[in-house]
Amino acid sequence: MATQDDDNVARIPDPDVEPSPAELAHARRFAELVDKTLSGRTPPAMSADDRALLEVATVIRATHGAVELAASKQRAAVEDALRQAIGASPAGGGSVTPIARAHTRMRRAPWIVAGTTTLVAAAAIAMLWLRTSGGAGRGNPVARRAVPEEWTSRPADSLVGPIARDHAGDAGARIDAIFADRLDGFRTRRLARKGKP
Amino acid sequence: MASEPATTVELELEVEQRLVEEAQQGNLDAMRPILERYAAPLYGTVILPRLGDAASAEEVLRDTLATAVEKIRRFTWQGKTIYPWLRQIAINKVYDVHRQSKRSRRLADAMVHEVAVESDPASHADAQLIADQERRAHRDRIDETMQQLQERYRSAIELRLIQELSREDCARRLGVTIGTFDVLLFRAVRAFRKHFGERAELPATGDT
Repeated sequence: MATQDDDNVARIPDPDVEPSPAELAHARRFAELVDKTLSGRTPPAMSADDRALLEVATVIRATHGAVELAASKQRAAVEDALRQAIGASPAGGGSVTPIARAHTRMRRAPWIVAGTTTLVAAAAIAMLWLRTSGGAGRGNPVARRAVPEEWTSRPADSLVGPIARDHAGDAGARIDAIFADRLDGFRTRRLARKGKP
Repeated sequence: MASEPATTVELELEVEQRLVEEAQQGNLDAMRPILERYAAPLYGTVILPRLGDAASAEEVLRDTLATAVEKIRRFTWQGKTIYPWLRQIAINKVYDVHRQSKRSRRLADAMVHEVAVESDPASHADAQLIADQERRAHRDRIDETMQQLQERYRSAIELRLIQELSREDCARRLGVTIGTFDVLLFRAVRAFRKHFGERAELPATGDT
């Protein structure tokens, strides 16, 4: 990147020397930047060289009293500074808290946090203790939805019964019995939902 | 000698001292009149002439005022205005900005140089006096650099940046087209920058 330091050491042409097209374009761009700056609309983005030159122009103007801080900006700076000093949001409204009160709050803050944390921890321990001691005699009741048995997963022992040795090869018949039972349950469920799956 | 009526400056100092003491005792609002009074001279004579960028200058002003409020308990009243203390905070902030931003190294060097030779205004009690003196010192430096420029470059800067005439009026005054005036101003500012940077490399003695 060509810097303003390069620019500084480069020889500045005499006023009567014809400008190159590049210099002409740069000069025009700089003139427009000065225009905008004089009307208080300095663009935020510009090249490093342009910014350096514009800084020089602003230094010259400021030294001759041509640049003043607008009353509104001055008020905002003062208010922001007062709020910033006590760690509040610059955008917040309302009156400013005196330093002493702010310091008091800051001193109390760790105790408030510690107290709140202790209370929450104590409450959690108490709840845990109540649940374990109260639930020990009753077992652990599990919430269960009241649904028909045929909608649930269940063993097929009641359908098949004990398998005698001489009927061990009738697996197909047992499977058919189980299939018929499950199909029955499926139909019931399907009809209960009025045909919706 | 019979007691004389207190001057305006003495009265202002009394009020300022009372406000500072209130602030040091914890009443933050007491700082408001002090900050409102000195924000403009800090911005116009201390910060902006050393930074050259209005947005950065506003930011530095805000930081300066915030630091002042934050550290007001450390300030010791010595019968003088609080302004030199605020000014020193501002100069330190400006110095930080120059150190952090790598752009405009030579201009930054020039500004840092000024910080070194100007940072002892404690011999004056009146803030306005200090601000005026500082403004005069800045202007002398600028004028000194302007004298090193060619006549047409000097005129271009004076017409456009100091008198703030429009480009058309500037071009008419110098008897050139607007395009030619743009080139003149462009070269003039570059030349000013070059001479201002070279000036900063001179020894500090005789520079104040």
